[in-house]
Amino acid sequence: MITRRPLVAVAFMAPAVALYLILVVYPLVQGLILSTTDSKIGNAADFVGLKNYAALANDSDVIRALGVTIAYAVVVVIAQNAVGLALARALFMRPRIRQLGSTLILLPTLMSAVMAAFVWNSLLAPDGAINALLKALGLGTLTHVWLGDPSTALWAIAVVNIWMFAGYSAAIFLAGYMNLPAELIDASSVDGASGWRRFTAVEWPLLAPATTVGVTLSLIGSLKVFELPFVMTNGGPAGSTTTLTMVIYVKIFGGGHGGFAYGATIAVLLLVIVVVFAGVTQALLRRREERI
Amino acid sequence: MTNTTPNTARPARSRRVRRGPLSLIGDVVLGLVVVLIFAPFAYTIVTSLRPPSDVVKDPLGWPTSLTIDNITSAYSKINYTQGLLSSTIDLVGSLILTIVIGSLAAYPLARISRSWATWVYRIFIAGSTVPIFVLIAPLYLLLRDAGLLNSYAGVILTYTALNLPVAIFFYTSFFRQIPIELEEAAAIDGSGPIRTFFVVLFPLLRPVTATLATFLTLAVWNDLLVPLVFVQDPSLKTVMVNAYSLVGSYTLDPSLLFPAALLGVAPLLISFAFLQRYIVSGLTMGAVKS
Repeated sequence: MITRRPLVAVAFMAPAVALYLILVVYPLVQGLILSTTDSKIGNAADFVGLKNYAALANDSDVIRALGVTIAYAVVVVIAQNAVGLALARALFMRPRIRQLGSTLILLPTLMSAVMAAFVWNSLLAPDGAINALLKALGLGTLTHVWLGDPSTALWAIAVVNIWMFAGYSAAIFLAGYMNLPAELIDASSVDGASGWRRFTAVEWPLLAPATTVGVTLSLIGSLKVFELPFVMTNGGPAGSTTTLTMVIYVKIFGGGHGGFAYGATIAVLLLVIVVVFAGVTQALLRRREERI
Repeated sequence: MTNTTPNTARPARSRRVRRGPLSLIGDVVLGLVVVLIFAPFAYTIVTSLRPPSDVVKDPLGWPTSLTIDNITSAYSKINYTQGLLSSTIDLVGSLILTIVIGSLAAYPLARISRSWATWVYRIFIAGSTVPIFVLIAPLYLLLRDAGLLNSYAGVILTYTALNLPVAIFFYTSFFRQIPIELEEAAAIDGSGPIRTFFVVLFPLLRPVTATLATFLTLAVWNDLLVPLVFVQDPSLKTVMVNAYSLVGSYTLDPSLLFPAALLGVAPLLISFAFLQRYIVSGLTMGAVKS
C-alpha cells in the first residue's frame, strides 16, 4: 500500500517533480526575474526594478498587440463555440450519422497550425481558390486581397482558427448533449415545445458545464495564438495581425534588437492576461452552472 | 394548438410538424457546414495531384491529368525523410517519458489525501495555463548552459515537462476510479508498492494511456515553436520546422505547399485511422472531466 510507504511515494513522484521544477517552475521564476533586468541577449544583466513594466504602458506596439489579441480572442471564442454548438445539436438529433460526422469534423483539428496556414494562405491568395470561387459564382465584386488588407487579415486568420477548432468545440458540446438526462429531452419533445424554445429553455441551461469548458479552452487557446499569424502573415500587413505572442517572439528571438528582458516582460503580461481572463470567465461560468 | 385537441393526438402531431420542414433545413445546413469543413481537405488533395500549370490556369478546374511530381518535389524540398526521423524520435521519446513518469507520480497523488499531496497536484495542474512564451527565454538559457540546445534530449525533456500537467491530470482522475481493494488484495499477497504498480495497476491504465497518447501526439507532432527555437542543426529539424522553411520564398504556390501540408499530416492520419475511437476521447476527455 503506497499510503503506508511515504518513502516509496516520494520516489514515485521524484522524477516528475524534479523535471517539472527544473523545466517549468524554475524558468517561470527566472522569467519573472528576467523581466526586472536590462538583459539584452540573455547575458548577465543589472536589476532595473519595474522599469520594463513602466515601459509597457507607453509602448504603442504592445498596446496595439494587446488590442489585436483581445479582439481576436473575443471573435474566435464566440464564433467557434456558436458553430460548435450548432454542429453538436445537429449531430445529436441525428443518431445515425453522429459517429461519422463527429469524426469528420475533427479532421482539421488534427492538422498542425503550420499545415493549416499553408492550405489557407493559398486559398486566400489574390488569385487563389476563394477569389476564383467568388468570381465563378458571379460575386466578383466580393473578391479581396484577404491577407494583404489590414482590415481583413486578422479576421481571415480567425476564420482559419474557427475552421480548425469548430469540430473540437462541437465534440465538447456533443459530450455535454450525451450527458443530458434522456427523460428530460423526451418530456420536452412530448410537450410539443418548438425546437428553438426547447433549446433555450431546456438544452442551453443544461449544457452549462460544457459551455464552461468550451469557452474557457477556446479563450486560453486564442489568447495564446502564435503559429497562425506567424506563418500566415508574420504579423502584417501594417501590424494588423501582430498578437502579443508575435511581439514576444520578435523581441526575444528576432535577432539583434536586444529585447530579451523586455520580451520576458511582455510574456509576463500575457501570463497575467491569460490567468485573469480565463480565471474570471471560468468563475463566472461556474457560478452560472450553480444557479441553473 | 388549442386545448380541445385530443390529448392522444398531440405527441404524434407535434412530432410530425417539428420533424418536417425545420428538420430538412437542419439537414441542409449541417450538410453545408460539414462540406465547408471538409472541402479544403479535398481541394488540397486534388490540387496536390494536378500539374502546376493546370492549377495556375484554373485553380478550381476539374483535374484533367494527374501527377505525383508535386509530391516528390515537396518531399525532397522539405527533407521529408530526415524530418520524419527527427519528429518520430522527439515524439516517441517524449511519449514514453511522459507516460512513465506521469503515471508514476499520479499514483501516490491520487491515493494520498494529505494536504501536501493536494498542493503538489495543484501546482502541477496550474502549469497547464502557463503560456510557453513565459518560459521560453529562461528555458533557452537553461538548455544552452546545460549543453542541450541542438539535441534530441533537450527537445524531449522540454516536451515531457510541458505535458506533465495533462498527464498527471489524466492519470490521477483514472487512479481515483480504480477500487483500492485491488491494491489491498495485492498487498495481502505480499506484493510491494512497486510490484503492485507495474504488475497490477499499469496494465489497467491502457485505455487512458491510449487517450493521453493521442492528445500528446497531436501536441508534439504539430508543434513548431520548441524545435524552431531550440534546434538549429539541420539533421535534427522536425517535419514542421522543415516545412516552415518554405514560408517566404514560396508562400503562395499551392503546388508546393499543398503536398507539403499533406506530407506533414499524413503520418497522423495513417496512425489515427487505426486508432479512430481514441481521437474523440483524446481530444475531449481532458476537457470534459475537469
